[in-house]
Amino acid sequence: MGLRNTTERWGAVSQLLHWLIVGLLIVQVTLAEMADELPVGVKKLTILARHKSFGITILALALLRLAWRLRNPTPLLPGTLKPYERALARITHVMLYVLLFAMPLSGWTMSSARGFPVSWFHLFQLPDLVPKNKALYEALLTTHGTLAAVLAVVVALHVAGALKHHFIHKDDVLRRMLPLPPATSGTRR
Amino acid sequence: MTRRASRTAGWGLAAAAAGIAAWAWLGASAAGTAPVAHYVLDPAKSSLEFAFDQAGAQNKGKFTRFAVSFDFSPENPAAGRLEVTVEMSSADTGDQERDDTLRGADLFAVAKFPQSHYTATQFAKTATGYEAVGKLTLRGVTRDVRVPFTFRNATENGVAVGYMSGKTTLRRLDFGVGQGDWKATDQLGNDVGVSFALRLAAAAH
Repeated sequence: MGLRNTTERWGAVSQLLHWLIVGLLIVQVTLAEMADELPVGVKKLTILARHKSFGITILALALLRLAWRLRNPTPLLPGTLKPYERALARITHVMLYVLLFAMPLSGWTMSSARGFPVSWFHLFQLPDLVPKNKALYEALLTTHGTLAAVLAVVVALHVAGALKHHFIHKDDVLRRMLPLPPATSGTRR
Repeated sequence: MTRRASRTAGWGLAAAAAGIAAWAWLGASAAGTAPVAHYVLDPAKSSLEFAFDQAGAQNKGKFTRFAVSFDFSPENPAAGRLEVTVEMSSADTGDQERDDTLRGADLFAVAKFPQSHYTATQFAKTATGYEAVGKLTLRGVTRDVRVPFTFRNATENGVAVGYMSGKTTLRRLDFGVGQGDWKATDQLGNDVGVSFALRLAAAAH
């Protein structure tokens, strides 16, 4: 497996970015739920500070990922897909990218609107994206939550699709995002 | 020693003593007559702010209610006296939830310690302005605090005014501002910058 993508499979860089972001998204959901349970205090601040730092990390990784994707071939969808399946896959992937940017950006903007500047792991402070604005903060708080719910649905579709390819179509769609050799059978393209 | 020499020495001593007395008298007189004005705060044109590190980022707040009484003459800083009283519940960081937390028992504990006081009676001229050496009582703990400041007096519409500004850094934990979880400094830094820009109006003593 090379670093770069081919039209057959994802390269090491794309795979690393994909699974790193998967891991970070799980961390993010966990931290967000922990913070929601806590009263105002140091523990909540600590959890939210980490949530923000990981969010900014995801934003940076999403930028890298998009840049890498635009400079690499994209593995082709199996030729067996029906047009609506093809469209569904396309929409799901576009939405995943959009949400990978929208989630951290809405969070960062929300912090700025609240008047709480964001720091990345205490190492550097990010600029505020908007001036302090309570109404905007309230709106973004709702937006951030709604986007998270949308992301959960899109991720479920994405996972369902990958599993369907793997177990029902028995093709390489899931395998090619894993450091595994291509299946010897089942790929019909 | 001859009688003559002894008399000369006597006169010399007398002259020296007179000189010292005259110098002391003049000095005392200068100190006594230098106009040590009494100033009170012009709240509308004054600010008292604080800056703190929250979760690795710089945040700011201010006190909206505080009183200042200042006796001062730039010509005679040693005769100065400064009294500052801050209403701790007037802390305003621009965020209601945070302000409520700040007023709570673990931080400012305003129910128990509604005010903080700073009293300075020692003043010295420095290269850039002046320095007050005084005692700050915050959350029931009193500690020596030095406050460097600049002072400029002026006459505006026939009224003598003074502009005083400066800043210093306090360590909140020195005063117990931070109990329980708040003793940790990673989410709320120990160093708190305090800065002020005051417009003072001369008043009767």
